[in-house]
Amino acid sequence: MASSRKITLRSSDGESFEVEEAVAVESQTIKHMIEDDCADNAIPLPNVTSKILAKVIEYCKKHVDASKAEDRVNDEDLKAWDAAFIKVDQVDQATLFDLILAANYLNIKSLLDLTCQTVADMIKGNLFPVRNEWLNFTFSIANRELVLVCLTEWVAHRRLFCS
Amino acid sequence: MDESGATTRKWEDLDTDILVTIFQMFDIFELTSGIAHVCSAWRMACCDPLLWKTLDLSALESNFIRIPLEPYVYVHGRSDKTVTQVLKIALNLSRGSIQTLIFHVNLYLSDEQLTYTAERCPLVKRIVMPAWNRIKKTGICKAISMWPHLESMTMPSIANPPYLLEEISKNCKNFSKLKIMGPFDMLFASSLVSYIPKLKVLSLRCSVIFKDALITILEKLQDLEVLNISHCILIEAGPPPLWKRVVKEIDPFIVDKASRLREFLVCMNDSCVMCQRARSDEGLMRWYKYEEGLWKSDEARSLAL
Repeated sequence: MASSRKITLRSSDGESFEVEEAVAVESQTIKHMIEDDCADNAIPLPNVTSKILAKVIEYCKKHVDASKAEDRVNDEDLKAWDAAFIKVDQVDQATLFDLILAANYLNIKSLLDLTCQTVADMIKGNLFPVRNEWLNFTFSIANRELVLVCLTEWVAHRRLFCS
Repeated sequence: MDESGATTRKWEDLDTDILVTIFQMFDIFELTSGIAHVCSAWRMACCDPLLWKTLDLSALESNFIRIPLEPYVYVHGRSDKTVTQVLKIALNLSRGSIQTLIFHVNLYLSDEQLTYTAERCPLVKRIVMPAWNRIKKTGICKAISMWPHLESMTMPSIANPPYLLEEISKNCKNFSKLKIMGPFDMLFASSLVSYIPKLKVLSLRCSVIFKDALITILEKLQDLEVLNISHCILIEAGPPPLWKRVVKEIDPFIVDKASRLREFLVCMNDSCVMCQRARSDEGLMRWYKYEEGLWKSDEARSLAL
């Protein structure tokens, strides 16, 4: 369980990245490969380009550092960092898409959640859900209308049945 | 521009699993507002059972006012239409995989809406019923007959419980948890004993309970494990002229009977806000007066939302 062992990751376009084991195992996929002893040489990641792998490593490094005792970063700061990391002008749609695929392939839950939430928010921004109509029903107007309708119906009912 | 064209194609090709992860971040209004109509891949993801284990419609309340004629409630036509619309889309996408179905206590569902819903949730295990002023007895019975796997029900106040409990005993062999949001009298207690003798969890919180009814269930519901009578108004029928009086303390006789229960949840405290509210509402809580979602809590965990 050498904590500062270095692992080499090789992207689909042949670039090698050397990272600390603690950072590499943020990915469950890589963690399993290491546990199964398949990580003597470089770990090939044929589904991830160097551009994306660099960003993934940046993310994992930040999250590993954030949980280290000396460098303790509080939750809000980390969330702010995440938001800046994934901001739309920092990360174009194509990159976001590739990040999702990479997070899924590498099985990095927090990155997958972050990227998926970003996409969810983008989709939500384009929706006009029924709820909006719902909320446009202000009770004041509705009540007046209802009372009028009701009174009319009630009066008619009384005329029919109570005369 | 070429790149964005390629990207558009790719978004459709996202793994179904990833799409499902994204769609899990949507609430019911967002899920039913066109996502399933984007393309066939998205529709397939929208129908994933993971998204439909629970259908929580508790954000839907009726736009209603009370009226002096039957059914004592008038629901604005347009809010009714919206409910139908959401129901149709949600039930269609869910493809029968719903196991927990939650309605708002102030949603005045119609007979047709309930039947339509019940037909499309054959696997439901837990139901939190809407208000049933507009629903006929036949409608309720029909719904229950379509839920053979039902285990847990939260129900509004009911004047005449036997027919309902009988229907449950006929159709729902695994039924074990009940929450009643209304008064609990001897008729109710004896019906429970006759029709649902194996009841395990019962919550009567914030309502009126008659003491003889309470004693009956403590003595006769042998499988009862959890009983919640927090913030209730306990009433004892006394000798005339004092024919009804409020009991201020649980007497040792009851405590003794309840000692076999795994959990006996009581709160009868003048300084408790919920107890005070229950008293001022005379045991029939006007949940719409209080904080949003207050009606969802329950000291019995399996019946809380």
